[in-house]
Amino acid sequence: MHENEAKKQIEVGDGAAIPTKKDLGLFTAWRIAFFGAIAVLGWLTYAKPDPYLTILKFVPDGIVVTFKVTVGAILLALVIGLIAGLGRVANNRLANGLASLYVEVIRGIPLLVQIFYIYYALGRFVKVPDMLSAIIAMAVCYGAYMGEVFRAGIQSIPKGQMEAALTLGMTRSQAMRHVVVPQAFKVVLPPVGNEFIALLKDSSLVSILAVADLLRRGREFASESFTYFETYTVIALIYLIITLFFSKLIGIMEERINAGR
Amino acid sequence: MKKLLLLLLPVLALTLSVVSPALAARTITVATDATWPPMEMVDANKNIVGYDIDFLNAAAKEAGFKVVFKNTAWDGIFAGLDSGQYDAVISSVTITPERQKKYDFSLPYIDAGQILVVPKSERATRLADMKGKKIGAQIGTTGAFEIKKVNGVELKTYDEIGLAFEDMAAGRIQGVVCDEPTAIIYALQKKEYKAKFKIAGKPFTKEAYGICVKKGNKELVSLLNRGITAVKKKKIDQQLKKKWLK
Repeated sequence: MHENEAKKQIEVGDGAAIPTKKDLGLFTAWRIAFFGAIAVLGWLTYAKPDPYLTILKFVPDGIVVTFKVTVGAILLALVIGLIAGLGRVANNRLANGLASLYVEVIRGIPLLVQIFYIYYALGRFVKVPDMLSAIIAMAVCYGAYMGEVFRAGIQSIPKGQMEAALTLGMTRSQAMRHVVVPQAFKVVLPPVGNEFIALLKDSSLVSILAVADLLRRGREFASESFTYFETYTVIALIYLIITLFFSKLIGIMEERINAGR
Repeated sequence: MKKLLLLLLPVLALTLSVVSPALAARTITVATDATWPPMEMVDANKNIVGYDIDFLNAAAKEAGFKVVFKNTAWDGIFAGLDSGQYDAVISSVTITPERQKKYDFSLPYIDAGQILVVPKSERATRLADMKGKKIGAQIGTTGAFEIKKVNGVELKTYDEIGLAFEDMAAGRIQGVVCDEPTAIIYALQKKEYKAKFKIAGKPFTKEAYGICVKKGNKELVSLLNRGITAVKKKKIDQQLKKKWLK
């Protein structure tokens, strides 16, 4: 009946809302949240140095670990995601099947369970240091999401591009490498940025693996000083400031890319 | 007749609610992190069992109250006491001056000490000889605090002690510190681990466990103390030690 009606689509990312000037409400909200968080954190530290300043001094190495895990995992996830994405659009049935299976299996298991599983499963068979295990666990999960981003990106490139390349005498893989994928990269940049922020937040899950990230440092502090409320206030504010900072950065990047078109 | 009954029901309920505290024994909700064998753990039938559980039940019987146990993650177990989610914590809690500042404790009910567990190949017998190595403990335990005191040893904290032992089996850490009874279970009795681990040296701390309650809850402390004293007097704790700790 309604076959001709265009499907309405909504886009909701799991990372963070990217503030752009187009959405004025969000833009204002970003400002209030970002500067508000910094102000609250600053005021607390100034007005009540015990325990707030003590907490703030305790956690910085945790922030470094959080960044290491996030950056390491996103880089590895990009590689896995590109392979999975190419597999998902491949004509080769084996490659397509394997990539689809990977995406389906990973997306069907909660991240927390995956992290536990990969970390301790890895430990059973090979000797991998804890931080690297955590990075691998995060990357295997996010590789599946990234794979879907790349698939969508590749499929968004008009068919004519591939056909034109083939007419010019390129093989399918050459056309992929030199024509389609480079264009797809531009398209996938914003969603990849969004995944980066989602991963940054989810990296707090690795604290269950005794990786001394921001959350674990906070928990260690709280468990010794019994200042649960104060500690988690600081931890939440730090995460908020970091994610808002990056969402802004990605927003600026996005605008630059769009302006270049 | 029915109507009369219906009318009487609220009256009955009201009377019961006034009288019942005097009739029925008082019930105390107690949190425990049941991941610390043999003191507190979950058995194959999903029951919370262990020395602490038996001890508190015995004390409750002596002092005339009832206990409902609540399995609670260790990390945050004291926070739940603050927010009133339960009345007390019995979870191999060492009485320390830091904890006494924030919470009140019953009389000590058993003594224990921290001990180091290492892989079979390890020669060191003391934490001080493990410089440059990673040692694991459960987060917020006296074991973790002891590791932190030693310069040059890196502390890794885990949510549960079992995860620390699994990480040592995977070679990611080179030692685990926990209470002696728990160390014995993991290093000498678990079949996955007993070929791999050994206990290094002797317990290096002297600690006393107490039942932890919210600061100022004097009435509950005296009730618990009454039970603890009676259990010790009747030497029930000796029987429990035989049952769980040998």
